[in-house]
Amino acid sequence: MNVRSQVSMVFHLDKCIGCHTCSIACKNIWTDRKGAEYMWWNNVETKPGTGFPTAWEDQDKYNGGWACEDGQLRLKSTSKAKTVFNIFHHPNMPTMDDYYEPWTYDYQHLFNAPEGPDQPTAVPISMVTGELINIKSGPNWDDDLGGSPIYAEHDPNLKGLSEEQRQQLFAVERLVFFYLPRICNHCLNPSCVASCPSGALYKRGEDGIVLLDQNRCRAWRACVAACPYKKTFFNWSTGKSEKCILCYPRLETGQAPACFHSCVGRIRYLGVLLYDASRIEEVAKSPAEELVEAQRSIILDPHDPAVAAAARANGIHDSVIESARRSPVYKFVKEWKIALPPHIEFRTLPMLFYVPPMAPVMAAKETGPVKNVSDDLFHDIEEARVPMRFLANLLGAGNEGKVRYALRKQKAVRWYRRALTVGDVSHAQAAEMLAQADCTPEEAEAIYRLTSLCTFDDRFVIPPMHREEAIEMLVDPLEHKQNAGFGFLTGPRRGL
Amino acid sequence: MRCTWQLRRWPAAAVQGLCLLASAPALFGQEAADFFRQNCISCHTIGGGRLTGPDLKGVSQRAERDWLVRFLVNPQAMIDRGDAYSQKLLQESRGVVMPQISGMNPARAEALVDLIDAESKLEKSQFIGVQITDRPFTAAEVETGRQIFRGERSLKNNGPACLSCHTARNLGGLSGGQLGPDLTRAFERMESRKTLAAWLGAPATPTMAPVFKKHPIDSEEILPIIAFLENQAADGGEDLSAGKLTFLLVGLGGAGLMLVVFDLAWRSRFRSVRKQLVLSSTGRGEE
Repeated sequence: MNVRSQVSMVFHLDKCIGCHTCSIACKNIWTDRKGAEYMWWNNVETKPGTGFPTAWEDQDKYNGGWACEDGQLRLKSTSKAKTVFNIFHHPNMPTMDDYYEPWTYDYQHLFNAPEGPDQPTAVPISMVTGELINIKSGPNWDDDLGGSPIYAEHDPNLKGLSEEQRQQLFAVERLVFFYLPRICNHCLNPSCVASCPSGALYKRGEDGIVLLDQNRCRAWRACVAACPYKKTFFNWSTGKSEKCILCYPRLETGQAPACFHSCVGRIRYLGVLLYDASRIEEVAKSPAEELVEAQRSIILDPHDPAVAAAARANGIHDSVIESARRSPVYKFVKEWKIALPPHIEFRTLPMLFYVPPMAPVMAAKETGPVKNVSDDLFHDIEEARVPMRFLANLLGAGNEGKVRYALRKQKAVRWYRRALTVGDVSHAQAAEMLAQADCTPEEAEAIYRLTSLCTFDDRFVIPPMHREEAIEMLVDPLEHKQNAGFGFLTGPRRGL
Repeated sequence: MRCTWQLRRWPAAAVQGLCLLASAPALFGQEAADFFRQNCISCHTIGGGRLTGPDLKGVSQRAERDWLVRFLVNPQAMIDRGDAYSQKLLQESRGVVMPQISGMNPARAEALVDLIDAESKLEKSQFIGVQITDRPFTAAEVETGRQIFRGERSLKNNGPACLSCHTARNLGGLSGGQLGPDLTRAFERMESRKTLAAWLGAPATPTMAPVFKKHPIDSEEILPIIAFLENQAADGGEDLSAGKLTFLLVGLGGAGLMLVVFDLAWRSRFRSVRKQLVLSSTGRGEE
């Protein structure tokens, strides 16, 4: 057992209102620089939809992530031999058109326009060419099902849905969508790290944050092609690739990452997980339907004395183990099993988990006003407007059972709380629902509290980073006693 | 380590420098003759008659020694200065200006004048030039010349075939190279077999000289080459453009073929996703 710690995340999709506050917080802190205009380390997508970059989930096109062939894990996008043969042209590189051409507006025109019969307008100007542009795409172009016949209807997660289900999904009176906020998953088996010819990417030992060394990056952009979630970006100005750093400077000072901190719907949870690093390869090679369960099995119980002892032996500080015991992520993922990894079939073992959304009941329009198919407020989840197949493609690697389990448990918790607070549901009925959903009243109460009444400290259990100890491995702090900081930090020299 | 290396090298460098100084007077002898052979005989003879440039036999009786040295060092400058005798020479050679020879300096020019004086006194100078027959060339000789030109028959001293830089008429295939001039009318330009033979004996242009210095054309190969060039000139005309056109077409075809190969090799490459989605969904062929 090789116990390591990982800062992990849970996004509760049932609470996300799609306000993009997280994206803006991230943009303002990290990517409002030259060369980073088109980057969205955090973005929020509408599902069904194709997201950013367009149809990133379609690995037949983008060739990201791992393939498991003959019991071997191989990168789809590159290999040692391919690195040589594709040295002048990487065949799996997304184009700017698949992200979008960043633009701003000619605001000065509002003030400087000569007097005329019309109100002056601020016309869009490309941030690449500086010319006027006809905007054809944006970072959230298919927001709220915008342009559905082009985008949402080509959502790769619709694979396996019957023609009837597809039509219902996009029938005018039955439209349904939910939001999917995305950041770097800080995977256990990151394909970006594996693909880098320069060894610039690394997974931080103490907390599992995947980082990109700006001094070692040589602009191969292999990570951009290899990441199936398309969460590494190339900065054309510095000539280096960049990615979400999980706001590690904030984490190290005990603050939640900016997107977590600013989340209006309080959908985000952060905490430490202990896992068994010696089993990563074995787990990543599991058959697709078993991947969700296999990844859960790699996460260890921090309350187990044997695990704690092994963690301590591996240099994990007692305070981190203590933090893992209070981790909300551990509860959602391992105890309650209601948070699921996105597209784990890419086999990178993402460490960001999503609680699947409870979609409203299917409605049908007959003659007259819209009629609900079911009169139950907490209806049968099988009748939900978002087909189970769709959610399973997104969050269960095709395994509907895992999604159904998570949704049934959430539904049972609602019935249970309804019985307690409103009283139009009998306690016996609620108890039966809980039993069917593999849930106890105590667990239901805990889920309810962490979902609805969660405070800042409940949501973000940030482990002490012990940077003062980690830094001692590299430099002697006493040498810099009289200085401010640890000397000069130089910016990357390459690039434009 | 680096320091000791430098120290060890110093005495060697000093010895080399001394040797160079000591060898300077030896220019009068063999070195001057070698220099003359490499640089002068393509245009001049000593007692063999006029080629492109005048016969140099007894040149010091025709001009001052001081004038000769200055002319050798920089012929163009003398002509530009309006020197009368230089102008006369220029007329005699129909406008061909003697090139400035690389490595020429006053000391070397003195040595050359001494060499010419010495050779002029001999009954038969070693620089009398090639004596070449006047009889008409046979078809076999012309054919041999063609083979040498095309590189089918390699030069005895491993020199490159004419074809690599020059073209001529009816060479077949992709015709010859375009780096050097078209040699179809070379015989007319050089005027006589003798001039051409002298040229081939030691090609003196900046491009050809370094190439053929170490791989001279053998005297037995010169005759067939002249035969071939004379035959070319006799037929008149320049290289037909058929070869150039074929070359262009083969080049375009080859480039096209390579693009097809690249497209097949990277057939599963990433192509734009969004644009295709838009185009296929709208079906209007526009965004």
